[in-house]
Amino acid sequence: MPAFNTKKTNILCVISTLLGMWSLAANAADTGREGQDLNIEFSALLETEWAYGTAKDSNQKLEFIFEPEINIELQNNSKLTTIGRLRGDIEDRLEPGDPSQDEVSELSRRGLIGNDVDVELREFYLETEIGQSYFTLGKQQIVWGKADGLKVLDVVNPQDFREFILDDFDDSRIPLWSVNAEISIDDSTLQLIWIPDQTYHVLPALDSLYAFTSPAQIPVAPLGVSVDLRSVKKPDRFFSDADYGVRLTSFVDGWDVTLNYLYHYNDTPVPFRSLTLGSQPTVTVTPEYERTHLIGGTFSNAFGDFVLRGEIGYSTDRYFLTDNANDSDGVIKSDEFAYVLGLDWSGIDETFLSVQLFQSHVLNEQPGLVRDKTDTIVTFLARRDFMNDTVIAEVLWLHNTNNNDGLVRPNVSYQWQENTKVWVSVDVFYGDENGVFGQFDANDRVVLGVEWGF
Amino acid sequence: MKTAQNKFGNLLLSSISVAIFVSVAPLSFAADKEGQPSGMEIAKRINARDEGISVSRNLRMEMIDRHNKKRVRETRGFRKYYGDEKRTVIFYLKPKNVKETAFLTYDYAQAEQDDDQWLYLPAMRKVRRISASDRGDYFLGTDFTYEDIKKESKVSIEDYTWKSVGEEVIDGHHCYIVESIPVNKQVAKELGYSKVLSWVDSKIWMARQSRRWDIRGNELKTIYTRDIRQVQNIWTAHIIEISNHKTGHTTRFLFSDIDYSKGVKDKVFTQQALRRGL
Repeated sequence: MPAFNTKKTNILCVISTLLGMWSLAANAADTGREGQDLNIEFSALLETEWAYGTAKDSNQKLEFIFEPEINIELQNNSKLTTIGRLRGDIEDRLEPGDPSQDEVSELSRRGLIGNDVDVELREFYLETEIGQSYFTLGKQQIVWGKADGLKVLDVVNPQDFREFILDDFDDSRIPLWSVNAEISIDDSTLQLIWIPDQTYHVLPALDSLYAFTSPAQIPVAPLGVSVDLRSVKKPDRFFSDADYGVRLTSFVDGWDVTLNYLYHYNDTPVPFRSLTLGSQPTVTVTPEYERTHLIGGTFSNAFGDFVLRGEIGYSTDRYFLTDNANDSDGVIKSDEFAYVLGLDWSGIDETFLSVQLFQSHVLNEQPGLVRDKTDTIVTFLARRDFMNDTVIAEVLWLHNTNNNDGLVRPNVSYQWQENTKVWVSVDVFYGDENGVFGQFDANDRVVLGVEWGF
Repeated sequence: MKTAQNKFGNLLLSSISVAIFVSVAPLSFAADKEGQPSGMEIAKRINARDEGISVSRNLRMEMIDRHNKKRVRETRGFRKYYGDEKRTVIFYLKPKNVKETAFLTYDYAQAEQDDDQWLYLPAMRKVRRISASDRGDYFLGTDFTYEDIKKESKVSIEDYTWKSVGEEVIDGHHCYIVESIPVNKQVAKELGYSKVLSWVDSKIWMARQSRRWDIRGNELKTIYTRDIRQVQNIWTAHIIEISNHKTGHTTRFLFSDIDYSKGVKDKVFTQQALRRGL
């Protein structure tokens, strides 16, 4: 019963917030009618993407997305944004059947229409300014960090991994019900965030196309041992299980700098295990979300044709898989230090080159640690614009030096008409099947897409 | 897949262009035409023209390729002086594929200090620092360069040597013709021009027409400034059209709802404002 009451309180609080926002909007709308016209803007994206798996000679997806957006400008420097998404995939291989959505809080879940279609309130937030403070209240994305395609500090919102990391972060990042306050203090901005929405990474089910199989991500049971996988223990206390964050942003002597702190649940559950011996040895796995303190910062500055940027993060109480059979719970608790250093170069006309170095260090190395103590990923991005930016060709290469695996993503897009863009891209995985990228070596694909905006 | 309309480029100086530049450069040391203000004086007059402390305006960008295919962007822009420092911000409003893109620049008076520039890319939801050295690169698919966007109708005096070379009537207005040559190869490379000829209205000190040559010495662009009229006693161009002779592409900027009197809040020129949009 306590859990039910907490959930009920949670829902009531969010509904109250929702009603409050609509009440504000309605009030402002009335004021607007008496005075000047209320500014309501509607826009939408219609996108279709076909992905063909070359290794398995079969379709990976045939997806249709309709994403309407309504912006209402209210009185007193306030505005209300609503973004929805209707998505269908007739192949149904990314999330086969009826996904459980256990990782997602009830108010943030998608509505499922059959196996192929889902509908979601992606974002719904009110922005308002009071004195020197700017508030964003509601379901939103909060993005931290300076890195491209790699995440050290961009962990405020969880991610949907239904397509591993192939989907745009803007689409795969899961918006959360949050309170976001930005307070101007001289030339700096202090951001305070409170996230009572207990939603975590959406990890692909075992029967889905991009299910994780890498031993660094998924525990592997020894031969002859049966596995009892329990349901995930998920935090459910509205206040005490909320995430809290602070960011200070400043511009100092040409440097963009931020200091970040996030007290949050890591979005990947820790698979704690216990072993029961007997005639049939059994491993019981109980996944559970764990708290961590993340302290870090970012910086960027331009030097001639170069832009140097980076982000650093130190996380306490992280858990890493171990294959040490004598380990009591199957995981090693350790702090983690991670950083990304990026260097962009724009020294050739209409061309952009960028390299990044990402490293993650497990500070408490113990026997049996499945991943390496230091994990290194190098990325390279080359982009060139043609025909007044109507044609953009780029290639992104991510390479993990530990496993010698990686992902290469060439892409060409063409702005065919004012509101219509078409593209073709290729995603090629390579390397050790135990690697984070190499595990999808059989998922190489060609993608064709069309997007229409209005 | 949403790909932001971002671009970060710069100019590549080939050995051929170096040779052409060297042959053009000595012209810049020739004397001004007698009986006319000197080139430098005209340049100073251009920069002394009142632009107000701040301005807010709508800017419609029309981009037309050589097949007459037209793309239109609706934006809202603000500019404000802080002493000699100028800050400019442009927010993209339409169409959907570029909506919420925003560009911010701090243009410092000291030539030795690099300007600071940021671009907000809605697909990434991040403000990105961009190099200010690529000032000759084209601005977000237009035929204007980042330098053009920053300077508007003003000029960067220290980047050129100036010479008045004649006079002519343009659209019924008496103009001095001024030739500007980049002071050195590096500046020419950064700006993308080896020579600029400007027809400067002798009454209002605004260029009504300008022709520009690339660093290889080929004629690259012609810029026409039209519909110049006073707004709140400040001479203001309402149409600027630029034709790129190399690509056959044309960009037309149409300004409206121009206001110099309301003032613009400082917080508009911040990275937070880029993220939040208008």
